[in-house]
Amino acid sequence: MKYNKKIISVLVVMCLLFLSIFVYLTYFSLFKADTIKNSNYNRRLWEREASVLRGTIYDRGGTALAESELDDEGNQTRVYPYGSLYSHVIGYNARSYGKTNLELAYNDYLLRTESLAEIIQYGKDISKMSRGCDLVTTLDHGLTEVAKEQMRGRRGAVVALDPKTGEVLCLFSNPSFDPNEDELSENWADLALDESSPFLPRATMGLYAPGSTFKIAVAAEALENGLGDYSVYDEGTVRIDGRDFSNSGKKAYGNIDLKNGFKFSSNVMFAQLGRELGAEKLKEAAHRFMVTEKIPFDIDTSSVSWNYGSMGETDLASVGIGQGRLMTTPLNMALVAASIANGGIMMKPRLVRSAVSSNGVTVYQTEPEALTAAVPSDTAAEISDYMQACVESGTGVNARIRGVEVCGKTGTAQNEQAGMDHAWFVGFAPKDDPQIAVAVIQEYSGASGGSACAPVARAVMEAWIK
Amino acid sequence: MYSETSSVKPLIYIMLLNLVGAALISIHYGGVNLEAIILTGAICLVSIISYAVVSLAELGDAYIYLIISVLGSVGGIMQTRIKPEYGIRQLKWFLVGTLCYFAAMLLYRLLNKWLHKLVPLYFGISVALFVATQLFGKTSHGSLNWIVIGSLSFQPSELIRIFFVLSLAAVFTAPVPDKYKDRLRLKPQHIRLLVASFITLVNVGFLILQREWGITLLFFAAYFFFLYVYGASRYYLLLNCFAAVGVGLFGAMRVSHIKVRIDTWLHPFADASAKGYQITQSLFAIGEGGMAGRGIGEGSVYFIPEVHSDFIFSAICEEMGVVGGLAILMLYFVLVYRGFKIALACTNAYNKAVAFGLSFILGLQTFIIIGGVTKMIPLTGITLPFVSYGGSSMLTTFAACGILQAISGNKEEITDEIQ
Repeated sequence: MKYNKKIISVLVVMCLLFLSIFVYLTYFSLFKADTIKNSNYNRRLWEREASVLRGTIYDRGGTALAESELDDEGNQTRVYPYGSLYSHVIGYNARSYGKTNLELAYNDYLLRTESLAEIIQYGKDISKMSRGCDLVTTLDHGLTEVAKEQMRGRRGAVVALDPKTGEVLCLFSNPSFDPNEDELSENWADLALDESSPFLPRATMGLYAPGSTFKIAVAAEALENGLGDYSVYDEGTVRIDGRDFSNSGKKAYGNIDLKNGFKFSSNVMFAQLGRELGAEKLKEAAHRFMVTEKIPFDIDTSSVSWNYGSMGETDLASVGIGQGRLMTTPLNMALVAASIANGGIMMKPRLVRSAVSSNGVTVYQTEPEALTAAVPSDTAAEISDYMQACVESGTGVNARIRGVEVCGKTGTAQNEQAGMDHAWFVGFAPKDDPQIAVAVIQEYSGASGGSACAPVARAVMEAWIK
Repeated sequence: MYSETSSVKPLIYIMLLNLVGAALISIHYGGVNLEAIILTGAICLVSIISYAVVSLAELGDAYIYLIISVLGSVGGIMQTRIKPEYGIRQLKWFLVGTLCYFAAMLLYRLLNKWLHKLVPLYFGISVALFVATQLFGKTSHGSLNWIVIGSLSFQPSELIRIFFVLSLAAVFTAPVPDKYKDRLRLKPQHIRLLVASFITLVNVGFLILQREWGITLLFFAAYFFFLYVYGASRYYLLLNCFAAVGVGLFGAMRVSHIKVRIDTWLHPFADASAKGYQITQSLFAIGEGGMAGRGIGEGSVYFIPEVHSDFIFSAICEEMGVVGGLAILMLYFVLVYRGFKIALACTNAYNKAVAFGLSFILGLQTFIIIGGVTKMIPLTGITLPFVSYGGSSMLTTFAACGILQAISGNKEEITDEIQ
């Protein structure tokens, strides 16, 4: 027929039009919908919130850390009974300010109902409000209270986790803020302007030079590269490429091997070891312990990274002692200690154990999961020995616990404020059967890690083990 | 050629669809609406009878009515879910529409020999309807498009679509009377282009006056592709293109009504509580539905403005998911494809042109409204055939498909164009 060819062309145009909708709609649904539906203009969000009683968030022992209360008119209030204690872990859920941390990450579970069952049971009767799932976290409320008490209001963070399972037992950051909505709206302006940055979750997002705690990674790298016999003559100071690297108090240790250099935290040794290892190996040291990697976690973590291109000799020496442009978070350093404790295997940190529906069904459950194999188990065992020596008779003696073999490493990190160093301690205990790994930091404390942070770590470990 | 369609399977699916829909809606409202059940049963029964009649009496393509009844069922389910009264009225319209379908089919068959001679009549009715709308019409959402008689309201442009296609088909395929040829001293082909352009200009002019942008686009595109198929020169096609782009650009810059549409298309969230309200609410619905949908009765479709008419597709996506929405889209595509196939197989030149035009309009209308509510193209208010609420859309689209049915069953072989 005369016109069929052209009619077929029009049919092809029609096919393309329909195909374009097909592609567009699929694309929209897969890639755009999630962002769009979280818009504040989406009234479904509020509607859903109002129709479901938000689930409770518990610690591992069943203590409620966040719960929703209903008033007579059916309005909900989110209550955080411990005020500011968990503001950087659980976050807040406030109509005016949105959601953060666990309240955000597990929003779907907290609002999830056993839909079909409840509809059959209640129909659409709104007065019978359905309940979202409860969230059971891995946190330990008692331990968090201990951490808070021990920090005595000083700025910093305490991270404690179970090295075998990756369960986070304590994630304490100070300063913090009261996440209850009334308090939030009253204080928001002040909090936002406060120079102590109370909105910064220091444990997971605070960036600090790891200082001497990074020597764990450097020592492990040395062992992995056949430098187990490395020794130096320590005169208290060493000059590298025109710059002096000194021990704390310029103390001279004489002829020392790797273990003693580690135990006394000799900067003279580790600055030279850094130069000896070179840029590639130092980068590898940080990489194997994920010191400069973003940690996958239930709540947001800092996007730390390796900040060097090419490295000069002083750069190598600085990174050897955990200084220079090396930056990481307390959570990262707690995982370093935890991986040594766990025979070199770093477990993925977890904040949530399970989500349980209102009728008692576990709808979500997490399992221990390895994040990376940092070092072989013999290297981990060797570093454990070093860390034990450090606590037994080195810089970390303040972390000793009677009757328990504690492993640890202190750190004192210089920063932009001279004389106001950050104090660090990372460690784990007991040595043979590690149950807890910790990282403690006090920022701008001016004191050494051994004097400021080791006692905090000891108290936390002791509270957990006993 | 259509004899492969005598299976009963499709009927079972249609009944199943209605059954599931009725069950879900009963759960949603927590009770059984007797009237809805009776009407649903009636639709199933009518579908069976229509299918039997079409296949046993060999009236042509038996799929057309089947597809329509699936679309109509989905429309009925969604309307009932949105508001039971709408659903019941929609189901009644569906039954009346079926009558229109067979009436249009019979009329078209009976009058087939004269239809191409009635262009002045089509044109006259169209203009009369436009003028009536202009004088007595009611404005809705910025468009002047309703005539209200008592309790019945009626959208004339829906009916004019069909006359428009019948006219263009006649202009391009019927012989040009000698008296015009002599008087105008022009080639027949040029006379055709002139007449077609004149008819289109008048129609589009009225539509622009009544601010029916979606239907304006629909008419112009139909005219343009008629020109393309029926051999207008490349220059004339380009000229029309430039004219359309010029008018479009002028509208986009100077007509606030169009400007707003384009702005809200590009930046829907800039004014999401007012101008962008419709489209953002539609996007939320589609987004919340995700791939699988929230379930019939489980969505919050009452947040979508005009959900029962222009935005019914968003509600379908929210409750049946994008997968459900795409399934509906495929149904339209199959329907349009069958229409084109009928046009291709048809040996009568006039009928071929009619089938082509009606299928094209059906397909493009579906594209314009679905593309609009999903923000793929700027939104223009137009109904989704068989699913959107409304009698005039339902009846006229049924009539259009009835004509397709008639053409598919036409065994008389009138020869090719008489030049």
